[in-house]
Amino acid sequence: MNEFVERQMKLTWRPLKKSYDVVIVGAGGHGLATAYYLAARHGMSNVAVFERGYIGGGNSGRNTTIIRANYGIPAAVRFYQRSVDLYRGLEEETDRWLMHQAKGLLWMAHSEAAVRAEQMRAKLNTEFGAETEFVEPRQVQELCPQLDMSGGGRWPVLGASYHPQGATARHDRVVWALAEGAMERGAHVHQNTPVEGLVLDGERVAGVRTAAGDVAAGAVVSAVGGHVSRIAAMAGLRLPIRTHRLQAFVTNHYQQQFGPIVASSELFFYASQTARGEMLLGAEIDPQPSFSYRSSHDFVQDVCRRALCLLPFMSNLRVLRQWTGVCDMSPDYSPIMGQTGVDGFYLTTGWGTWGFKAIPAGGEQMAELIATGEVPELIAPFGLDRFARDRTMADRGSAGTH
Amino acid sequence: MSLRIPCPTCGDRSVHEFVHGEIRRVPDHLTDPDERDLDFAFHHDNEEGVVTERWFHAQGCRRWFEIRRDTTTDRIVETEAS
Amino acid sequence: MATILVDGQGVEARAGDSLLVALVRGGLHPTGGGCLCTGGDCPNCLVTADGVAYTRSCQVPARDGMVVQRDHLGGEEPALLPDEPGSPLRRIAPHAGEDAGAPSVQRSASRVLVKKAAPVQHVHCDTVVIGQGDSGREAAREARDGGLGVVTLDAREGQHVTGVYPGPLVVASDQAGCVLHVHPRREIVVATGAAEIQPVVPGSDLDGLVTARAAAELVAAGIDLGRAVAVGERPAELPEGTLAGHFPVGEGGWELVRFEGDGRVEAVIVRRHGDAGATDERIECDTAVLGLGRNPRNALARMASDLPVRVVGSAAMEPELPACPREGTVCPCSGVTVADLDGVWERGFHEMELLKRATLAGTGTCQGGVCLPYLRSFLLERGGRLQPAFTARPLNRQLTVRELAAGAHTAVTARSPLHDEHLSLGARMDRAGGWWRPWTYGRNDDEYRSVRERVSLGDVSSLGKMAISGPDAEAFLERIVPTKVATIRPGRCRYVLMLDERGYLLDDGMLCREADQGVGDRFFLTSTSGGSGFFELWLRDWAEAFGYDVRILNQTASLAAINVTGPQASRLLARAGARELPGFGRHRQVRIAGVDCRVVRLSFTGELSYELHHPAADACKLWRRLLAAGAGFNVQPHGLETLLRLRLEKGHIVIGQDTDYDSTPRRLAHEWAVNLDKGDFVGRQAILRTNKRPLDKRLVALRVEDPPVRQAADPSAEGAAIHDGERYAGYVTSDAGTAAGGTPMLGWLYLDAEGHLPREVTVDGRPARRVDGPTYDPDGERARVTVETGSESPENIGQFPVVRPEATDLAGEGPSGPLRLRRLEATRVSATPKALDALVEQPPWPAGALAFRTAPDELLVTATADLEVAGDPHAIVERETAFSYVWLDEATAERFLDRECEWRRPDARPALAQGEVAGIPAKLWFEAGRTLVLAPAPFAAAFQRRLTGSLAKPDKATP
Repeated sequence: MNEFVERQMKLTWRPLKKSYDVVIVGAGGHGLATAYYLAARHGMSNVAVFERGYIGGGNSGRNTTIIRANYGIPAAVRFYQRSVDLYRGLEEETDRWLMHQAKGLLWMAHSEAAVRAEQMRAKLNTEFGAETEFVEPRQVQELCPQLDMSGGGRWPVLGASYHPQGATARHDRVVWALAEGAMERGAHVHQNTPVEGLVLDGERVAGVRTAAGDVAAGAVVSAVGGHVSRIAAMAGLRLPIRTHRLQAFVTNHYQQQFGPIVASSELFFYASQTARGEMLLGAEIDPQPSFSYRSSHDFVQDVCRRALCLLPFMSNLRVLRQWTGVCDMSPDYSPIMGQTGVDGFYLTTGWGTWGFKAIPAGGEQMAELIATGEVPELIAPFGLDRFARDRTMADRGSAGTH
Repeated sequence: MSLRIPCPTCGDRSVHEFVHGEIRRVPDHLTDPDERDLDFAFHHDNEEGVVTERWFHAQGCRRWFEIRRDTTTDRIVETEAS
Repeated sequence: MATILVDGQGVEARAGDSLLVALVRGGLHPTGGGCLCTGGDCPNCLVTADGVAYTRSCQVPARDGMVVQRDHLGGEEPALLPDEPGSPLRRIAPHAGEDAGAPSVQRSASRVLVKKAAPVQHVHCDTVVIGQGDSGREAAREARDGGLGVVTLDAREGQHVTGVYPGPLVVASDQAGCVLHVHPRREIVVATGAAEIQPVVPGSDLDGLVTARAAAELVAAGIDLGRAVAVGERPAELPEGTLAGHFPVGEGGWELVRFEGDGRVEAVIVRRHGDAGATDERIECDTAVLGLGRNPRNALARMASDLPVRVVGSAAMEPELPACPREGTVCPCSGVTVADLDGVWERGFHEMELLKRATLAGTGTCQGGVCLPYLRSFLLERGGRLQPAFTARPLNRQLTVRELAAGAHTAVTARSPLHDEHLSLGARMDRAGGWWRPWTYGRNDDEYRSVRERVSLGDVSSLGKMAISGPDAEAFLERIVPTKVATIRPGRCRYVLMLDERGYLLDDGMLCREADQGVGDRFFLTSTSGGSGFFELWLRDWAEAFGYDVRILNQTASLAAINVTGPQASRLLARAGARELPGFGRHRQVRIAGVDCRVVRLSFTGELSYELHHPAADACKLWRRLLAAGAGFNVQPHGLETLLRLRLEKGHIVIGQDTDYDSTPRRLAHEWAVNLDKGDFVGRQAILRTNKRPLDKRLVALRVEDPPVRQAADPSAEGAAIHDGERYAGYVTSDAGTAAGGTPMLGWLYLDAEGHLPREVTVDGRPARRVDGPTYDPDGERARVTVETGSESPENIGQFPVVRPEATDLAGEGPSGPLRLRRLEATRVSATPKALDALVEQPPWPAGALAFRTAPDELLVTATADLEVAGDPHAIVERETAFSYVWLDEATAERFLDRECEWRRPDARPALAQGEVAGIPAKLWFEAGRTLVLAPAPFAAAFQRRLTGSLAKPDKATP
């Protein structure tokens, strides 16, 4: 037995019913969190989550598990800070060990322009409740002794923004805890059940079509990652979404402790240590739209090269495993949440590379919207209608990495 | 290397040498100019399957060309030269 | 005989021993226990070897002086190496005889490289065969007989394949210490054989357990197995008499129950198969030899399912499913037991992937090599459904970070031709917009004053620069900038915005219409430094989308640019010999200090400014002559930091700092730069559409009389919140960060609920007032001042010889002498493909000149710029000094390109090829016996370093 073998969660699978109050498409973090909060906060448990594969098998199980709120626009900072706060209480709320650990996040600056950008980020974040400060090289070195402050002689660390609440949690466990919490309150989760179409009642979405037959629903929520354009098209919608691959990899166990999460927008990578001691690295999305889960060598090659500039201790670590997820990217690097203009059809998408950290807040807010019919103030700026209203949520804080 | 993009001038090169471009389409039924423009500016087919797209060979001849690629596998199914 | 240092003890190894065999010979088990397979399929022989943790000892040859720890996790400290200077191990680690020097030197070199990427070797072939057992050799022979170029990779030769990737690309380590990137054109043959199924029963973590294959290998190495008992299939390769007993498993045979022993196996416990009442039988032994079935090693094929992969030999066999495990460790990598599997199964984890994720089985070094067959049989028995193997992902064999980084380079930052000038003037350089720029020369106040009070030079060579001509040039530009182009008269220039189709600002620049029109229109368009990479593709994209007949020539690296700015700017230029300078909003060709320049008169600093665009090759000469001519005015160069302050006083925006993704001209208060009454242009419909929506925010200038206290670590107010009473009303985007008050800030200000833009706000709690227009010289008199040229007295005018280009005689040079890149003097032509076809058919240039067709509509020729292109009156013909070149002899070129060029080079001679080499866009001209390499001059220094560095890396044997 290793200490990470799951010993708490109990998943309960129930037979498919003909009708539910709410049907959620996609049993990833966002879909399950929506089901969980519907049941836990609003007493709505006649809810089913449909999953084409297994729970958490999409981006929820393919991300780099980073939780942070240091974004670039007020509405995003507030929203992600809500998620950071919910994550901090999630172990207690679900009574499950999620391996949540606050580590602090250092965002490196290697040029004057980047220094200014990080200083700006620190002030803006602090203003909206996401504690962040700009730290000098000396403090950076103290926070992360393994850093080569000269950046391999070419990418000197001139400072960093430091976000102490930056954290990681075990992605699978977050998914399972939410699934378990929803299930024990009566919600259904159906694995290996792809949604093949939407049931339309005039202009209104009234259910979903599956191989096991049509299932009626008072409301249908798309919480899929990677294939949202296809689901939306079933409701007659074209979305401002393009899907790109995002890759990551882990090394073997690194014996020493690597404390913080380290990111660099100029070297385009970020690194942290998993609970098992592996070094986990990610970087930017692949440039071309793609739905392929195939990993590439140039990704691991380039990221290894860039990481060696700042983290030369990694040179003799072996890379153990690499993987790929597919991300739905919105044009303004912000999520899209809420109503769609099609009656009975809701969206939570555009989660790009920032979906994991938003799971609790995204689920909580979507649940409130569905349960009350009122758009919560926290996510009102993130509606699909923002593009038509000329209120895009341009977020440079999320455009860089993770 | 990962995906190879066939440049009609320079030959097959790594995807890293290129910039991806899109051929935009607006649904025929959109006749209102603002609606058309919104669709043109923001919406994408985001097709799962074979798409026609443009690539710019930034590290080589610095010209655009068209290919057809399957987005589910990243396989190039048709090139400008063929 | 070699000696290995294992946990501080010397262990003798024989020639040909793997590290594992040497350890076993020395009576040691690499990890203390667990069945050994010698095939790289299990985690039971992992050690830390020469500081590299998680090393499969069965796959590494035992080398003299090797330092091994039987803790595969790696120590708290990096392992000491005996050849490291000052290492205490030097005293105790023996080195082999007289040859000690050579390997030691080599190892020392590898230590120096340890933080850097390993060298890479690119190999192009038709077919790559992975695995050189019988089926692999057969596949290679067949392919060779068919006339194909074949590369073979064999783990026994130290070639461990990490993955098969799209491309296709096969990545493998090589015993020579480099990494092989094999690029097969036709086929990948996977002939990796089969792995032996490991035992999963209590006691399977004891020492003394080996697979049948391992037993044969150990015996062949002369190792005595003691009393050996075989369980399962009879090991065919074991010599007669080795075995003391044999117990076949399955129908009619036996069932393996457990192993017993204290540290090392002492007995195998078996029982009759399928007989519920059978009793256990205890067979004493020193070694248990296990033949429990085989599973194909097909991970490489599975991770490449849509690539041209063929699996041959036993790698293609159907997996054998072992009996469902009852007890014991299923996954030795992660330490997962059968009880663990039962636990998660009971709690609802029924999918293969969930079982894996909930226990971490299959996520260690062997990637499921041991546990996968058992997980499948477990799930089949519990759930009645045979589930497929979990996804095969790289890395099949785990290389180190430095090995995987082989062949990669970090992004190159471009250098202005004046880079070294800045350094010699004491500048601190900084990366900005993809270029090294002088951030400060260390005297910001004086830099500032020299602009405001005297005259100053600024290097703006990094601006994007495009020449555009053609019958449709005006119509095209009219379509892509929101400014009216038709009213820009010849010799005039205008500030222009560039918008995307969403009506958001992409970039800004200036648009000049050539004075000398020739045939049709010709323009010169600039972009910001940061936009220069994007500029050309954006222009070409729209030109093609609209179908306009235009020629476009990218002159970003061809032309340097020096901004001469300050009240004395015209006098300095007059002393430099400028006769006629353009008035405000105009440009003209002027010879200054012997250099032909396009002089553009607009102003970013707010002072009288002349931007001198000139061939990059002449930049240093011009810069020095301008400094000399301006000595009497105490001319100083100014850095980027000062420039950012100067422009702020004028309220000029900086793209990317003050603009955001959603910055419409209306939000930026730049409606004045948009003409909605002219025809359609990119972004026009978006502006019309968004103008119907109420405005939400606007970029404004704010005056803070009593600026916030400047913190040393962060003196700027950028990012500070703006409040309108209690209401959050935006944030500061630009602040000079100077202690002196009065310099305005720029910031986003949100309109209030009534749709008003507040006048009085606070920044960081300090009162601030929104101001309209620039605070410095509000009417722009200083920038627009009328200048009388020719007023400088003749004795003050310096004597500067005229700089005349002479084309590089490429053909006359050769690959001799030091490998040093030099700037190429050439001519670039942009014309219709047809006109260029005709031109190269009957070349007007001297016979020795070389001409490179870099695109169907573009030609680079080593001749002077007085070419006539008969077939295209709109052709752009310009002096081109944007490239640096070096000749390489054939052997050097091969060596260099095998390492730094991953794409397939042409076979024909002569031939031009373009693409990335050493991470830099290069042009290669292959002649018989020599190769010319052209690299963009802004990257020449980096290319030089990579060329020299790559050739300095040690050679390796070719595969």
